[in-house]
Amino acid sequence: MRDVAIIGVGMIPFGRRDEDSLMDLLAYASLKALDDAGLGDKSVNAVYVGNMGGGIIQHQTAIASSLVDRLSLLPAAAETVENGPASGGSAVKNGLLAVASGYYDYVLVVGGEKMREVTGWKATDFVSTMTHPEVEYPYGVTLPGMAGMFTRLYMEKYGVTREHLTAVAIKNQDMGALNPYAHVEMSISREGILDSPHSVVNNPPVADPLHLYDACPVSDGAAAVILCPLETAKKTGKPPVLIAGFGQATDTHTLQERDDPTDLKAVSLAAKQAFEMAKLKPADIHVAELHDAFTILEIAESEHVGFFKKGEGAIAALAGKTKLGGQIPINVSGGLKARGHPVGATGVAQVVEITFQLRHELPKNRQVKGAENGLTVNFGGFGNNVLAFVLRRVQQ
Amino acid sequence: MMSINIVAYKCKKCGRVHFPFHDRCLACKSREFEEIAPKGNAKLLTYTTIFNLPWGFDQRFLIIGIAEFENGVKAMGQVDAQSVEGLKLGMKVRPNWASVRQQHGEDIYGLKFEPIE
Repeated sequence: MRDVAIIGVGMIPFGRRDEDSLMDLLAYASLKALDDAGLGDKSVNAVYVGNMGGGIIQHQTAIASSLVDRLSLLPAAAETVENGPASGGSAVKNGLLAVASGYYDYVLVVGGEKMREVTGWKATDFVSTMTHPEVEYPYGVTLPGMAGMFTRLYMEKYGVTREHLTAVAIKNQDMGALNPYAHVEMSISREGILDSPHSVVNNPPVADPLHLYDACPVSDGAAAVILCPLETAKKTGKPPVLIAGFGQATDTHTLQERDDPTDLKAVSLAAKQAFEMAKLKPADIHVAELHDAFTILEIAESEHVGFFKKGEGAIAALAGKTKLGGQIPINVSGGLKARGHPVGATGVAQVVEITFQLRHELPKNRQVKGAENGLTVNFGGFGNNVLAFVLRRVQQ
Repeated sequence: MMSINIVAYKCKKCGRVHFPFHDRCLACKSREFEEIAPKGNAKLLTYTTIFNLPWGFDQRFLIIGIAEFENGVKAMGQVDAQSVEGLKLGMKVRPNWASVRQQHGEDIYGLKFEPIE
């Protein structure tokens, strides 16, 4: 197996992009990544597109075939990878394995989603299609609903409170306000969402005990990376970022069949595999992008990947240990919470953000100083299909 | 009252109770199951009020929960309550089989848990 590096990244600002089609989003991010990699008018051998909803929302299938045509990447191999909200991570994994195997030398991985094209009702229904079609979906359960039930159990078991959740929301919104790619570039205050009469209006419940500012927005967006063998990447101008570790694990489709529904086994396993492959420990990580579709998930994942012991993630968040400059900066991009969550794009966007960090090219107010190792966690379903990547800056 | 129209699956080899159906036992991989019906009342394991409902629900909110029957069958259902104020983890609920949504003008039936404590 060959070592695989990221030689180009591209992302477009997430948000509501009424003027762009899904294909526009994918094409813009792809072109930015191709340019960043210095490939100019050269081609790639293969393209993997992470997308969850094209078939449902846009009524368009075979998206990868359309994208290679639009980008004039013909006759590159191309396919769409659908794995729920982990579609982006799965697309990166496919690219990684394709280059590592020696079969392809240059691969474009792009993840994208256009969710704001339909009403909130329709978008919520679309995301709910990943729940069990017979024993969950008919009841009207949504992903925020799953997260609400999970949060109630996590609060009961570990003493997590709304104050802890609010600390995560404030941190991620503060960082999102500094990130030009973020959907919600806006800071929020504790008074505004927790401590004042206004908070009742500003921050209504979405799925108790979770409130509006505990949840990520519904977004349009796309992100892309170019992968190639590390040895080739070393000859380019930019510091190569090695995909040092990768892991993926699954768990039961329904929450009800987990012996302990607060135990996110697939997160622990995916991270463990990624750390083992990279020969690194959680303490070696300098910056992490965790899948905070809900604030509780950032806390739970920070424990399950091994940054904190079970039950201590919430305390760490409240104490500022996960802020920029803290023990382990988490979601310095603003996370899904502020950057937004175009489902198929997220797993790729996390890798793009960590690449920015490891290349040390972000402005001071967002850069984790001297970061050399980063982690991403892309959480599909309600934790039933999870991918983790460990990225490492390589000295040229 | 309508009977609870769900079937759970008990592994003939190790006894693990499954709902929904799996082709192989989650614990021991056996393919032999005994069909069992959920039995008795149930214990509410967790719940939430969903305020942003998916397309197809014409109402302001919906309370959803997961409950465990007396014979170990665990299932999701709607909770028959006006708010979560009176609900608590571990409370006893009575399972009913009732309309949980409508599709194309037809009622879709499923589990509705009625708090009885």
